[in-house]
Amino acid sequence: MKKLLSLAFLVIMAGGIASAQPRSAAVQNTLIRNATVLTVSHGTLTNTDVLIRNGKIAGIGKGLKAPEGARLIDATGKFVLPGIVDAHSHTMMDGGVNECTRSVTSMARVQDILNPTAIGIYRELAGGTTSALLLHGSCNSIGGLSSTVKLKWGHTAADFPFPGAMPGIKFALGENPKRTNQNNPGVPARYPATRMGVEETIRDAFARARDYKRDWDDYRAAIARGEKNVAPPRRDLELDPLVEVLEGKRYVHSHCYRADEILMLIGVADDFGFKIRTFQHVLEGYKVATEIARHGAGASTFADFWGYKMEAYDAIPYNSAIMVRHGIVVSVNSDSDETARRLNIEAAKMIRFGGLTEEEALKLVTLNPAIQLGIDRRVGTIDLDKDADLAIWSAHPLSVYAHVEQTFIDGELLFDRQADLARRPQLEAERKTLEAADANKPPAQGGGPPRAPSAIRRANAHEDDNQEREDNQR
Amino acid sequence: MQTKYLRFPEALAVAMALACLLVLALHPVGAQRHSGTDTYAITNARIVTVSGPVIEQGTVIIRDGLIAAVGAGITPPPDARIIDGTGLTVYPGIIDASSTLGIPRPSPSPTAGGGGGGGGGFAALFGQNAPSATSPNSTQLPGMQPEILASDIIRPGGTEIEAARNAGITTAQTAPRGNVFLGQSAVINLAGDTPQQMIVRSPVALYIGLAPIGGGQYPGSLMGVFSSVKQALLDARRYREANEIYERNPRGLKRPGQDKSLAALLPVLAGRMPVAMQAEREREVDRALDLAREFNIKLIINGGLEADHVAARLKAMNVPVLLSLNFPKRTAAASPEAEPETLRVLRERVEAPKTAGRLAAAGVRFAFQSGGMTSITDYLTNAAKAVEGGLSHDDAVRALTLGPAEILGVASQLGSIEVGKIANLTITRGDILDRTRRITNVFIDGRPVELRPAATERGAGRPAAPPTPTPEPNDY
Repeated sequence: MKKLLSLAFLVIMAGGIASAQPRSAAVQNTLIRNATVLTVSHGTLTNTDVLIRNGKIAGIGKGLKAPEGARLIDATGKFVLPGIVDAHSHTMMDGGVNECTRSVTSMARVQDILNPTAIGIYRELAGGTTSALLLHGSCNSIGGLSSTVKLKWGHTAADFPFPGAMPGIKFALGENPKRTNQNNPGVPARYPATRMGVEETIRDAFARARDYKRDWDDYRAAIARGEKNVAPPRRDLELDPLVEVLEGKRYVHSHCYRADEILMLIGVADDFGFKIRTFQHVLEGYKVATEIARHGAGASTFADFWGYKMEAYDAIPYNSAIMVRHGIVVSVNSDSDETARRLNIEAAKMIRFGGLTEEEALKLVTLNPAIQLGIDRRVGTIDLDKDADLAIWSAHPLSVYAHVEQTFIDGELLFDRQADLARRPQLEAERKTLEAADANKPPAQGGGPPRAPSAIRRANAHEDDNQEREDNQR
Repeated sequence: MQTKYLRFPEALAVAMALACLLVLALHPVGAQRHSGTDTYAITNARIVTVSGPVIEQGTVIIRDGLIAAVGAGITPPPDARIIDGTGLTVYPGIIDASSTLGIPRPSPSPTAGGGGGGGGGFAALFGQNAPSATSPNSTQLPGMQPEILASDIIRPGGTEIEAARNAGITTAQTAPRGNVFLGQSAVINLAGDTPQQMIVRSPVALYIGLAPIGGGQYPGSLMGVFSSVKQALLDARRYREANEIYERNPRGLKRPGQDKSLAALLPVLAGRMPVAMQAEREREVDRALDLAREFNIKLIINGGLEADHVAARLKAMNVPVLLSLNFPKRTAAASPEAEPETLRVLRERVEAPKTAGRLAAAGVRFAFQSGGMTSITDYLTNAAKAVEGGLSHDDAVRALTLGPAEILGVASQLGSIEVGKIANLTITRGDILDRTRRITNVFIDGRPVELRPAATERGAGRPAAPPTPTPEPNDY
């Protein structure tokens, strides 16, 4: 058992070494030969080659010629799937996913706290996931600014943000922003306490944002008229992003559960003239699918996870399929570093529940979330000139027996199962050496309590209503 | 001067003499007291000047708190007290480039966090009104008040300062405790009866930390910490602009509200005062550098555990590092039941002492600091580990002396043994980075400090002791 544990541990830590390896400036070209290619956009292509050149998909076809110096991969019997896009993630975030102290925290930015060494990144690559929408938590009616990233393990934080991705912001409705299930000793209760208050908070914030925008417009007009002695309005990091929402320059991703609150937010958005890009969780979306479709919003939901609190009771696993049939762009997300390693299985469930086709199911974790994040021109399908963000699977990715062999982002090989397996003896030897060093020896006497198993994350830790998550920097 | 009054001729009336005595009694002692006994000569010693070559056998003359002469073949003046330095090595006084020395610990007060006055009750109970790190009439919460000055709240004496002196440290940069905006630091000498005597330079740097306020108060997360810092800097910019416009022509304009928190940030925005930002890991250093670039701030990295990973960027932006010697080490007891520690943690502990050598090789300016270590006797021991980890001996000595003096802007006063500099000296038997070395004498502001090697541990959680003048032989 102990051996098994330490082996499991090695798997967990195997990624550590990748960050220590030197980063090559130019990414090697790759030719994947004779694979079954699940393009998602134009069907399944058997015995097909995929050429990756300069980080882009440069060829899809039979008998492609490899450029000089290219890496050749024989993918006979294997499957190529576009990199999975996780439309709801809290991976690689340092120092808390929630700025919980206020009802509106649109000044908080996920981009300020990216942790490129979080081990979750490597595990997600091992599950074929290559992009993620990193969202602020659901503590407040209007939460912080999200960050859309490519999971470029081994790179510095600056390389993670998805180039050109539309900026986003988290909203949240229902029990979490009204703090129904939170009663932390020593922390004073915070407005709002009801769903009415949640709506009022959002309306008030946008009313303030509108005034703020007018103040700035007036100021700029005064300067343009050549007026002197005009002090500029206060630059407000809380209201700047809300103005961007009003101007259609920032996507709203709103956490929600119940049908009534979904309709409420559509009403608020209509009143202020902005759009909701995605409803997140949206477990009762099937009840108001027509209204969601009419608004033009996407829906990003769990495959079959519900009942963990009052507002999550009235859910059905057919939710995704029903919303798809209503013409909504639907994705299935993880909201968890653990589930993010196996979103292919979450997609497969939607064939069982609601009878989606294979391609429709695969879209739930590839093209559709890419559309929702505004990155579908770059990723989400295997098409010419798209970014070479893809994974090679050992079997059809909708099978529980499939695992990822290799994962590429921008043509760079960032996960390689064989290399990982080969590295393990070396890591075990390194561990022995390190443990013998003075700094790693336990104190001769006394000392603090040993590291408890609880420090490892629970397997099914959904972030939906976790106010704080464990620091995963170690 | 005072003794002259006492030797006044007998023609003086008795009443006048009494009046003089009264004046003397009221006159604060300390500030100007000096006499022939303030001249010292350390002879026949090995002198590591740091700024110049090592003098294998020479003399250092100290007069009136300053280094009066240094070199070989110098004859001590007749009024000097001679210290035979045979077998001893004289170094510039060791500097701790970042500490909380002399800063009172916050007193546990139920009203703390409510703004204004702060810690009344507890301190009053113990008969000492500890200066609280809360700024009156501030617009900001405690923990977010950049206007707090270390020089306003430091207290002389106390076990921590004594322990630091016993470890050979003569000087420290000290900064208020806090969360996000900790306040402005000072460089202090670790001797003196009053705060005023201790201060060498103030303010030195604005300290920014990464600890959320919490308890329901914004910011409650690291995200919020960054947002609040940025908003404060933006507000300060606007404050400056609004005041400039108002001062040009106040008539017809609403006057901008006074805000000392924002006013305290103006020297930072103008690049006159550096920001010492807490950053240990690569990503934290990157974040600090990003912030510095965004607001055109003069930055100092405080901590720097993985600063070597970012060496190229630090060098390119000319950002120095106050490198903590509080190296991570395993503190958990051995247990067969325990989860194995991650490779990352194991690596980090082994790599930590190598950071200094890599920074030096990359040409990044750095200085050592204590980083809140529990036992300050580790200070020189861990500097020696940095040498084992690849730092050259000379670079290590520099990072303990002239390096910090340069980064902290006191290099014309401290950091090397040169004529005219403040006579802070750390004298050892054996090389200062040798494990067997012993600290034999410490001079601060030209006066010997009594060393009590037994009291080496820093007091934990104890309120600072009332100021106790360092007892000296033949004082006065």
